[in-house]
Amino acid sequence: MTEENPRIAMIHERITEALKPTVLEVEDESHKHVGHPGAQAGGGHFNVLVVSAAFEGVPLIKRHRMVYDAMGDAMESEIHALSIKAKTPDEA
Amino acid sequence: MDVMDRIRDAVETTPVVIFMKGTPQFPQCGFSSRAAAALSACGQEFGYVNVLADPEIFENLPRFANWPTFPQIYINGELVGGCDITLELYEKGELKKLVEDAAAANAKEA
Repeated sequence: MTEENPRIAMIHERITEALKPTVLEVEDESHKHVGHPGAQAGGGHFNVLVVSAAFEGVPLIKRHRMVYDAMGDAMESEIHALSIKAKTPDEA
Repeated sequence: MDVMDRIRDAVETTPVVIFMKGTPQFPQCGFSSRAAAALSACGQEFGYVNVLADPEIFENLPRFANWPTFPQIYINGELVGGCDITLELYEKGELKKLVEDAAAANAKEA
């Protein structure tokens, strides 16, 4: 976990608290989108891989909603785009 | 028409529709581009709404189905997901089936 990047730390913390993942990877891709209109507004681009037993028997769209819900108000400000891979321990 | 009604109208009258940044020919965002390409690869017609050309829809679509980002793909009036889910379904072969079923059901009605 990159302590130097406060947004990664924030995403890490919120997902860990909400979904108790067994695997959690958060990657900041904002540097790839410099000059993109969304990036100019200040929101970052992130990739997350979340492996959690909480996703068992849950359809994809609901899994993504669970991740968005965990992020809460950050989706309106800090995060412009969140690319999500949400798997159960069996699928990972 | 109220913006929520306009969105509802778009998803209910078009069996497969993507709300995206730009157009399938000239996408303005990588996520929109990839999702539109996956839909195109399914071989059926689909509708699109360029949210960059319609600020009212851009502002209000996230609260329509409580989904915070673009693109958004709707099949038979229901949100299927954004770019990641669309690509995952495409890779599993499920997107093609969803799109074909929606097109067939629409052809029957017409």
